[in-house]
Amino acid sequence: MLSILRNNVLTLFFIIVLAISFTTDAYSQYLINLMLVYVVVAQGLNLILGFAGMFAFAHGAFMAIGAYVSALLMNTLGVPYLIALPMAGLAAAFVGCVIGIPAIRVSGLYLAMVTIGVSEIVQWVLRHWKPVTGGTDGMLVASPTFFGVEFSDDFQSFYVIFVVCALMTVLAQFVIRSRLGRAFVAIREGEIAAQSSGINVARTKVFAFAISAFYAGIGGSLFSLTQHYINPENFNLYQTIMQFCMVIVGGSASLIGPFIGAVILTWLPELLRNAQAFQEIGFGLLLIVFVIFMPRGLAGLLISRNILPRERFSRAARLRKKPEASTSVVVERP
Amino acid sequence: MNPLLKVEGLTVRFGGLTAVDDASLAIAPGQIRGLIGPNGAGKTTLFNAISGLAPIAAGSLHLSGVDVTSFSAPQRAAQGIRRTFQTVQLVQSLTVYENLLFGLHSVARDPFTAFVVGGHAQRTNVDADRILAEVLEYLGMSDLQDRVVETLTIADQRYVEIGRALVARPKLLMLDEPTAGLSPAQLERLDDLIAKLPADWDVSILLVEHVIPLVVKLCDRITVLDRGRVIAEGTGSEIENDPVVQKAYLGERLDA
Ligand SMILES: Nc1ncnc2c1ncn2[C@@H]1O[C@H](COP(=O)(O)OP(=O)(O)O)[C@@H](O)[C@H]1O
Ligand SMILES: [Mg+2]
Repeated sequence: MLSILRNNVLTLFFIIVLAISFTTDAYSQYLINLMLVYVVVAQGLNLILGFAGMFAFAHGAFMAIGAYVSALLMNTLGVPYLIALPMAGLAAAFVGCVIGIPAIRVSGLYLAMVTIGVSEIVQWVLRHWKPVTGGTDGMLVASPTFFGVEFSDDFQSFYVIFVVCALMTVLAQFVIRSRLGRAFVAIREGEIAAQSSGINVARTKVFAFAISAFYAGIGGSLFSLTQHYINPENFNLYQTIMQFCMVIVGGSASLIGPFIGAVILTWLPELLRNAQAFQEIGFGLLLIVFVIFMPRGLAGLLISRNILPRERFSRAARLRKKPEASTSVVVERP
Repeated sequence: MNPLLKVEGLTVRFGGLTAVDDASLAIAPGQIRGLIGPNGAGKTTLFNAISGLAPIAAGSLHLSGVDVTSFSAPQRAAQGIRRTFQTVQLVQSLTVYENLLFGLHSVARDPFTAFVVGGHAQRTNVDADRILAEVLEYLGMSDLQDRVVETLTIADQRYVEIGRALVARPKLLMLDEPTAGLSPAQLERLDDLIAKLPADWDVSILLVEHVIPLVVKLCDRITVLDRGRVIAEGTGSEIENDPVVQKAYLGERLDA
């Protein structure tokens, strides 16, 4: 029984979320919705950051593209949400490709700088392209309608967000078990060996950008449903850092990690609402503590304690001692 | 017989240094070719040039008659050129099984993934589990498949690298000093393996090896590289008695 639960943690998560939302009040429902949005976004960031090992910091911007594209399609063209949502994802993925193609020339810190630059450019466009984006005033987001029924309040939009979140979760599982996911891990661990195994590193990286931006775009569109109103502030660097926090705290390169991260970082600020100062430095502290003491995040901890099952390609906790039995000393020749 | 690999006039330059200088060699199907030469002779660089990791300044490369000179490293891997590394290049924190999975890339299932990650889509429905089980069994590593690589001995890590190449059923397998750091017993076991690879896997082998008697025993023919140039080629006994080779080695290793 316990092992069934242990192997189906994510299914359990969705069942619990569904059960809670039948009994909850409007504000908690709003937070649950927000949490599910972050699950989507964090899963996307985890694909590029955790699995492919690329320091991309433009996910607030990708989210913005998704949010604005779906809002504009619905508001101005009356496009149904069923079409506006995938368009939001595809628009973000397209921008992800456009940014990815030049950005993959650099990696590590430089990639982080380039992508932060991109975020700032997107911010600037959102603020200054007033006729389209409404500038700093932001814009209202129409409620989605499915088959004539409007999904306007938090209880109703929950169903939309819940279903999309579940689908995106299935997609992430599929990606990671596919050759593509394997290629992500391979390029993270060493481009030379990856190339020699037949992996096209450049294309794999561009695709990591595209697919994680797709997640951010879908997440951005869902986010706009929870807010009913969007403005550039929603998608600034703080947004990106919070997502980064979710992946690191939850556990990068783990399929369960983003869930843990999204749950904690959605509810923690609520618990600390009376301690505003702590809330602000909280993220920073959390990041520092985890990066230094628990780089595999909570999922990594739970896996190494055998509470969660080991996932394919999730890095094993590093061993302290190498039981190297070889008698001869390895001397590297040039 | 048509050579499996034909290297003609291959040249690799690093700035002012010509690491591989107008090197030519041809390997027949099923052949084990030794590649020897003093440190810094350019053996690893020649490997890199053949596998697409080092830029080729001049010369050409044919695999089974196909000109692969302009192919990228992943394209050449997909064509069947696979290798191991002088310094083991495995993902130390992942299991043996997962490391072998990386080798399967060029047998991508569908055109879409083939486009993204590289490879070719001819082979469909590859049963990864079956292929990996077969290779692990062959290497005598079935019981190690779930071990994390960093817990393995260097000898076993070198087997995993060979396995990662074999899962793709390569045409050419290049082994860069696979015996470095091995104990005499481990060395003997690896020799036996290399000797039977061509017959069992229908593969040609290019082997860089420092222990000369071992190369002479294993290889059908030997190519000698010195300062980037091919200074001799022939059978084991021809090479051992070649004065040019002895001069390049200053007699030191050939006495062993
Ligand atoms: N990436 C590189 N950049 C510059 N010089 C290199 C590079 N790789 C190899 N070399 C040089 O090329 C020469 C041949 O090296 P290498 O192929 O590693 O020799 P071997 O494997 O025969 O010991 C050496 O002088 C080495 O310093
Ligand atoms: Mg070398």
